[in-house]
Amino acid sequence: MQDSNPFVDIATHLFLEDLAGKVGVAGLNNYLVSLARNLAEAMPREEYASWSEFLAALRDGQSILSTFEEVRPVTDRCMSTLRSPFERGWREYAKRVGSFAPVHREVAAYYNHKVRPTAVTSVHIVLHTFREAAAARVRVGDAPVRYEPVAAAWVDGEVQLPDGPKLESLLKRAGISPTKLGMLLRNHSEVWLLEPA
Amino acid sequence: MIDVALASLIEDMIEKAGAEGVVEFWQRVGDNLASRMGKEAYLGWTSFNVAIREARTAFSIEGEVTPLTDMAITDVDGDVVGYLYAMRQCCYIPTIFRTRFAVGRISPADKAVTDEYNENVHNIAVCNFCVFHERFREEIAKNVSVAGNSLACFLLATRGWSGETKISSKNVAQVNINEDHVRALLRNYECVYALVLRGARLKGER
Repeated sequence: MQDSNPFVDIATHLFLEDLAGKVGVAGLNNYLVSLARNLAEAMPREEYASWSEFLAALRDGQSILSTFEEVRPVTDRCMSTLRSPFERGWREYAKRVGSFAPVHREVAAYYNHKVRPTAVTSVHIVLHTFREAAAARVRVGDAPVRYEPVAAAWVDGEVQLPDGPKLESLLKRAGISPTKLGMLLRNHSEVWLLEPA
Repeated sequence: MIDVALASLIEDMIEKAGAEGVVEFWQRVGDNLASRMGKEAYLGWTSFNVAIREARTAFSIEGEVTPLTDMAITDVDGDVVGYLYAMRQCCYIPTIFRTRFAVGRISPADKAVTDEYNENVHNIAVCNFCVFHERFREEIAKNVSVAGNSLACFLLATRGWSGETKISSKNVAQVNINEDHVRALLRNYECVYALVLRGARLKGER
């Protein structure tokens, strides 16, 4: 798919900053969750006969889950994203405008505390919520698909992971070791899990 | 993906604040972004136009801008006080196509905001992003000085993704450019604007 003009991404970030000034961090979190859900719900549902057919669609960019990012399956259940779909916008923002407004981190901290500890910045709230809502629109065989984030690494190198036991369980379900996760996070922006619900 | 998701956010906001609320919101965002970008100064039009070509100015954040140096704007003494500038592609076109391929249809919120702006502010918008964009350019221009004078920006013409064109008769008259020249530019460009020295006494101005 054609890339967006990063100016639109920058304007959207400023839009969110202005919104946060009115509704606060909790209100911004609600808006981000709502916009990501609405986006997923506006997109067509999908069905696949088998998990391997679904993986091929993910790999080829044909699935709702690979519309905005290049997905590379690591195992049958573990997915990785090479570059965050927000990276270009972030780089352009940093180059043309300056450092990100603190509210983007503040809302991520709120989300980590209230929902699950996997966001470094505001855009991860959009990404996680979108993937979760999008996965629920996919059926493989007779079963719907469930999404869970494993780890997110932001452009500045900051990594957000769940705590010990929760991480262990996720890695076991994803079929990768902690060492493999560390290797993936050197040059991938996200590692996530898809499994039959 | 945040660009495609923006339409959902605007839909939400229309429900809460109406299309006029979204127009005000977008304009405030334009002010805020411009104020965060700081001031710039150029010795003269030549250095400014080179900076535009090399994407070094605040205007370059929008994407590729072409200075139309064959279309100078002159004052009553015949001195050059400005030029026309144009973008081959509207900033929002990639988002419209991304939306088309990801979602399937453009949100009606886009048209609601566009119509509100055209009816009550300035009949020049071809998409909701024009609302933000026009204000952003106007504010940026105030922060850029050429030969010691700050600039004023006039949005002259736009062409939308469906081919619809808009020409601002008010602004075209203000900078004393023939409307047919602007219309001809829309064959190659999707957004045409003028930058002139603030306070210049333009030829033909009454």
